[in-house]
Amino acid sequence: MLAQATVNGILLGGLYGLATVGFSMVWGVMGVINLAHTSFITLGAYVTYVLFTQFGVDPLLAMPVAMLAMFVLGYGIQLLILNRIIRTSLLLSLVVTFGIDLVLTDATVIAFTSDVRSVNASYASTSVAVFGTLVPLVRLIAAGLSLAIGIAFFVFLRRASLGQAILATALDREISNLMGINPQKVFALTAGAGAALAGAAGSLSSMLFPVSPTMGVSFLGAVFVITVLGGIGSVEGCIVAGFLYGLVQAWAAYWLGTNFQEIVAFAMFLGVLVVRPQGLFGRAFFGEHA
Amino acid sequence: MSEAAIVQQAPKAATVRPLVWIAVGIGLVVLCAAPIGINAYWLRVLTTVLMYVIVTQGLNVIVGITGYHAFGNGVFFGIGAYACGAAMVAGMPFAAGLVLSVVVSAACAFMLGWPILRLKGHYFAIATVALNLAAIQIIIQIGGITGGAQGLALPLSEWDPKPLYIALYYLMLAGAVASTAVVAILLGRPLGFALRAIRDSERAAAVMGINTTKAKVYAWSISAGLTGFAGGVWAYWITFIEPSSAFDPAVGVKAYIMLIIGGMGSILGPVIGAFALEIVSTLVWSGFLHAHQLVLGVLIVVVCLVAPHGIIDAFARLAKSVRRHNGAA
Repeated sequence: MLAQATVNGILLGGLYGLATVGFSMVWGVMGVINLAHTSFITLGAYVTYVLFTQFGVDPLLAMPVAMLAMFVLGYGIQLLILNRIIRTSLLLSLVVTFGIDLVLTDATVIAFTSDVRSVNASYASTSVAVFGTLVPLVRLIAAGLSLAIGIAFFVFLRRASLGQAILATALDREISNLMGINPQKVFALTAGAGAALAGAAGSLSSMLFPVSPTMGVSFLGAVFVITVLGGIGSVEGCIVAGFLYGLVQAWAAYWLGTNFQEIVAFAMFLGVLVVRPQGLFGRAFFGEHA
Repeated sequence: MSEAAIVQQAPKAATVRPLVWIAVGIGLVVLCAAPIGINAYWLRVLTTVLMYVIVTQGLNVIVGITGYHAFGNGVFFGIGAYACGAAMVAGMPFAAGLVLSVVVSAACAFMLGWPILRLKGHYFAIATVALNLAAIQIIIQIGGITGGAQGLALPLSEWDPKPLYIALYYLMLAGAVASTAVVAILLGRPLGFALRAIRDSERAAAVMGINTTKAKVYAWSISAGLTGFAGGVWAYWITFIEPSSAFDPAVGVKAYIMLIIGGMGSILGPVIGAFALEIVSTLVWSGFLHAHQLVLGVLIVVVCLVAPHGIIDAFARLAKSVRRHNGAA
């Protein structure tokens, strides 16, 4: 049973990590705490749901579409609304993104009603043996793809020139501007990438969890804890912290009972904030000075 | 933010101040007389507005004056509600419960403040959100006198509903006036100056000899006491509280938005913000039943884009530009 809980926790942790990477990047690069992030997770799941039920597209093939749709949405919101806000006050972004979240959530309810829906791929009930425990195939796929996307994004930031522009803006906004990088465009790109990653996480979770307008919000606690645990703006920190969070959650449920899962998570969160606010892997990012 | 505050304070003095006093006087008379002329629905709306005036003034102390963005300040609303509720279930009168609401909330902020107020900026903001969410789980785990997940039913009043609701309205009104007075008095006291110094530059404030930690903890305790009072009255008004409604993060978030709409760090800003947002959202609710959150969200975004320093500041700027325009012509 302990082995089963451990494996499940680690696999779920991979998905949590992916759900957090975009949020953490947006915070790290422009100091915006994007409360609408969980809406992107929900919408990513709904894009997958629509493609699956209406057009019979496999959820895994629907994922790139969901990512693209969320990229466009995130890019547009940043360009039209948030870039104007950042110039005035950073903490105002909390309120604005709260407003955007209200709009997106309500629009989802209006479009799809509050009914709970599900995406059942043909391989949904298949299980595979991992280290002597039986694991649902979809969980394994979700964790594996999460890790792969996270690593791909990490490599993108380090190797691609666009990625390096994002990192440079995060480290020093003024100097990167002098180097010919347009911060407005970098912000929009970061927001788009963050939303796309959230969309991917939503797409993968649609195979694991029931799809409803509130499914994204259920990630909110995990997203905050993992961001702080991994260090704000750190992709590698996010991925490691995601696994760690999944593991701690699973063990807390195993030894203390499911009621204590959230208390342990918040205790961990407050503990890290007070003792090591820069997180496990945190470095000097713009978000820290704001 | 600080630039706006300076702009606001400079030209006021002689001409505007009497007008403000007259407006405040008229507003108070209208609010005192209101229960005579309005129906139960609008009495309820106005009581909610006044409740938010108290919560927003509480938030004003820590956010507007001290510059610490306690996004999850709603936690003290819940603590106040539960302190009052538990005390009354244990047999104490409402007045004693209300005193406990204030004292327990302030004491919690005092104890939590020492570690948490060391955090700055966003870290402090999300730590308070975490506190707010953790409180829900803690109440559920404690159980016992708090009722746990099942919620807590407060003893019913012996009064008839109508006079009771009017009495609670006046209690909220008194709280709103008192909390506004607390902010006004605080701004003129040494502590108020110390807090504004911390807001503008904490390091400089420390260099000037201000014990910043102590000042911040005091500010948060005052903030929590005010918020807890609103929670205590709310609990008795609602008569049934549960963790998810008492510690609803939306309470703190809504107050934060009201503070932005009204203007941070000002005395009357929170009052204006609370009235504006709550009445608009009530009208939106009745006008767009199915899409009220959507409309509200759009309104929030538009207000933040158009008037990031609050309504008062936006009107002041507008009036200034009109005056300049007329002068030139």
